[in-house]
Amino acid sequence: MPHGRVVRRRASFATSDAADPARGILATVNPRDRLRSVGRRVSDPAEALAQQVAERVVPMVVNALDVNELAARVDLNAIAGRVDVDALLKKTDLNALVARLDVNALLDRLDVNALLDRLDVNALLDRVDLNPLLDRVDVNALLERADVDAVVRRVDVGAVVDRVDVNDVVTRVDMDALVENTDLGAVIARSSGGMVTEALDAARSGAVGLDQFVDRWVARVIRHKRPWPVAPPALLARQEEP
Amino acid sequence: MSTRVAQAELVSSQGHYAGSVSRFTAYAIDLTVSSVMFSLGLAAVSYVAQVVSGHSVSWNRSNIVVAICFAVWQFIYFGYSWAVSGKSFGMAVLGICVVRADGTTVHPRQGIVRALVFPLSFLLFGLGFLGILVQREHRALHDLIAGTAVIYAWDARAARLRFLARQAELGLPVGPAPPAAGHEGT
Repeated sequence: MPHGRVVRRRASFATSDAADPARGILATVNPRDRLRSVGRRVSDPAEALAQQVAERVVPMVVNALDVNELAARVDLNAIAGRVDVDALLKKTDLNALVARLDVNALLDRLDVNALLDRLDVNALLDRVDLNPLLDRVDVNALLERADVDAVVRRVDVGAVVDRVDVNDVVTRVDMDALVENTDLGAVIARSSGGMVTEALDAARSGAVGLDQFVDRWVARVIRHKRPWPVAPPALLARQEEP
Repeated sequence: MSTRVAQAELVSSQGHYAGSVSRFTAYAIDLTVSSVMFSLGLAAVSYVAQVVSGHSVSWNRSNIVVAICFAVWQFIYFGYSWAVSGKSFGMAVLGICVVRADGTTVHPRQGIVRALVFPLSFLLFGLGFLGILVQREHRALHDLIAGTAVIYAWDARAARLRFLARQAELGLPVGPAPPAAGHEGT
């Protein structure tokens, strides 16, 4: 077999090489050094040429590049999805960052609506553990530096008010507390607190109380199984309306 | 039960069927007022008769004519009140009113029918009134016949605010907060 012959020949050469007396000369003068020096003579000018080409081409490419177009094509949500926000925030000294930040200047320059339109805020917030973040933020310091008046001036109060259900707000007002704790109570007392009115209120209240007392005793005696209706159907339906 | 909680319960009772005490008190007031008015009427008629005829006229309450006049007067007094506004003077004082059985405003004809059949409740020793206590809608015999019911109609919420305002002005404590406000008023 020719392959087996070559292997044997190489083995015998290696054996004779090891026993060769010129082995010491070859060890100090490596024949590959010549090849290296030749390669260096060729590669150095090529490297310089490439450097020159790069120095000319890169500015041309950068100048030709429309950065805005590029930014518009960037999928911010995909980038945000790949960022480990929690880890990033843990490593960040937020207070130092906030201290160096000119919040007002940033807010003035920021087109918040355009930014928010492009960002899937819900997905981002789902990934953020807000509690430790808030624990680390000195909110008072942040608020002291923010020009709240300027922010409020930019808010469309009319649009906000349009979205408020005033009726719902009114139903949530604790009228009792309002009457007790404000001058409204004094106004009501002075405007409607006649002796006759007071006497009528007392008589009616007393009568209703006695009615309920009698009804309770009658209910104990009769022991009706089903609860009796408290009001006529039409009035009962009106009472149950929100 | 504190006064304030009691007041809150009164507010939540607005529009409910009126109880026996309120109705009896209202009737007692009406009977007193109508009797006084009838007596004044008789006195006026006696005075006119005396001026015209020159003889003094005295009315005996056992006289059949006077009794009939009194019954007619009672019918007019109650029938007119219930037909026009659903409440007599006594009912207005106690803050109750007559409505249809379903809670809507009473029809004048129902007010008149109610006044006509009202005496029936006095028959059999007033058993007709027993319905106010034991009937599930607190309706007496004359209510059942006329298709009416009696409810609390006074503005208990305004009364409660007046009460709180008086307490606040006097600096008196009013106790714990009332139950949920959503159940209040009609």
